[in-house]
Amino acid sequence: MPERPTGPAPPVHASLGDSLTARWDDPGDDLPPPDWGRPRGPRRLATVWMFALFTLALAAGNAWLSDRLTSEAFLAWATVFTAISLQALPFLVFGVALSAALTSFVPASFYRRVVPDNAYAAVPTAGAAGMVLPGCECASVPVAGGLIKRGVAPAAALTFLLAAPAINPVVLVATAVAFAGQPEMVLARLAASFGAAVTVGWVWARLGRTDWLRPPRAHHDPDAPRWQIFRESMLHDLMHAGGFLVLGALAAATVNVVVPRAWVAAVADMPVVSVLVLALFAVVLSICSEADAFVAVSLTEFSPTAKLAFLVVGPMVDLKLIALQGGTFGWSFVRRFVPLTLAAALVFTFAIGGLLL
Amino acid sequence: MNRIAQGIVLVLLGAGALSSTVFTDLYLNYVQAGFRPFLIAAAAMLIALGATVIAAEARSVLRGEVPVEPAGCGPGHAESGGHGHGAPRVAWLLLLPVLAVFVVAPPALGSYTAENASTAAPPREEEAHDELGEPGSEGPVEMEIQEFISRAWTDEKRSMEGKTIRLTGFAVPNPEGEGWYLARLQMACCAADAIVNRVLITDRPEPPEDSWWRAEGTWQPPEGDLRSVRDHRFSVETLEEVEDPPDPYE
Repeated sequence: MPERPTGPAPPVHASLGDSLTARWDDPGDDLPPPDWGRPRGPRRLATVWMFALFTLALAAGNAWLSDRLTSEAFLAWATVFTAISLQALPFLVFGVALSAALTSFVPASFYRRVVPDNAYAAVPTAGAAGMVLPGCECASVPVAGGLIKRGVAPAAALTFLLAAPAINPVVLVATAVAFAGQPEMVLARLAASFGAAVTVGWVWARLGRTDWLRPPRAHHDPDAPRWQIFRESMLHDLMHAGGFLVLGALAAATVNVVVPRAWVAAVADMPVVSVLVLALFAVVLSICSEADAFVAVSLTEFSPTAKLAFLVVGPMVDLKLIALQGGTFGWSFVRRFVPLTLAAALVFTFAIGGLLL
Repeated sequence: MNRIAQGIVLVLLGAGALSSTVFTDLYLNYVQAGFRPFLIAAAAMLIALGATVIAAEARSVLRGEVPVEPAGCGPGHAESGGHGHGAPRVAWLLLLPVLAVFVVAPPALGSYTAENASTAAPPREEEAHDELGEPGSEGPVEMEIQEFISRAWTDEKRSMEGKTIRLTGFAVPNPEGEGWYLARLQMACCAADAIVNRVLITDRPEPPEDSWWRAEGTWQPPEGDLRSVRDHRFSVETLEEVEDPPDPYE
């Protein structure tokens, strides 16, 4: 323990530490200082200037740099990155808006009426709800966050998060179109995804702890106008999820361009390894679930079970999604939830693949 | 990240999405044409949200108020680096797509990707194809490469044999042997899932990579099983350079 001066501040400050401890119980100073928590006006002005310069730099870059970037690999990477970002953007914005609407306009009593109280009973209901509502994985993460905030059991909300992108009608139709003449693939995808989502939900209901999830932020001021709650909720979710979505897109674009398909094809003949490789491929590639069936069908060298793994794992676990979940629910959640989901998805892939394909 | 920065980032992001859909056709390089209305709607929401946030901040500055910490936007989370204004630092990454759209403006994928991406797979069962061309007409049949290879895999009656067909695509070198490919990319949703449709041409000298050509010629039916074919061969009668290349995806 440092010695605390008991009298008034000593005349000579030997070091910073001394000066700090000296002022520690100095009653003469106003604490907190008068400008504490004030808007930092000059800082906000600086922000505006900084963005003005940034916009000028954008215009300059547009005029001078655009034509000089010629590296094929870099441009292919940039195209894929832009493609993933732009494709996910509407889903993210609509998902965040829906989540904000759930938080601000739908009364909490509605959820208590619709969702069963018992978490074990709520899980299959949530899974079935995922079958009805079309939504992409980027949208389902903020929506699940909104449901948890409204008091829906986390296990049920997480089941919805897993089921909605995997087995919604748009995805099932896309799968049927891609695998024309193989209706068993659609059935297998539906069964394996639903099974994995419900299993994860039940395991979470049994073992999950609330403090693994980042606590929902402080309750809203009940007097605030609804549209203001809506605005703040949307801003908050976009800022938290959006950056991570971009991070995921960066990673996925890099893998997409750097890893040659020939490496993936090289292992197609090995029965179990090929399934694991396509599962891993789905994780790193982070393709939107509405499109992944078309990519799966092009991986002709692989067995149907390996393709099923690609379809079941992809919508539930991928780089973009992991980053998004980390941003929304926190990393101590991701550490537990992602391995559990991956394991459940693989078990159901092998079981349903063996049974149906 | 303070609130005014958050607002400006959202407006810029919306402007990026809006300018690539409304003012140019840049978005066609990245996503399906069907995404246009969704991108515009999302961009409009982003701009509206960002503008109201900036306006609210500007009002409080003009009034010289101490802004009340907005509902729910409490002191920063752990990753926000201690700044009590809500948004984590990772949110700055939202500027990267803006940079990508405005500064890099990446072109559509081309032969670099066509050499590495997966190739289309044979359809599982015979697809019902229409009769080729107008009955009685003599001219060449215009066809997408996608349709051509799909027919070539399933045309057990060899009804396509001897017909003059016109294909349009870009040149891709064949690293593993003779000839070169005339190729188009097919995307289901966005450029990340692009797969290649291509025909092999061996009777013409290889043009420069990524140049666009309209080829008229005939299908060279393979010997033996149609479905075991990897590269569909096309023998060229006329080859004409395309001046204004279309959307590379079909």
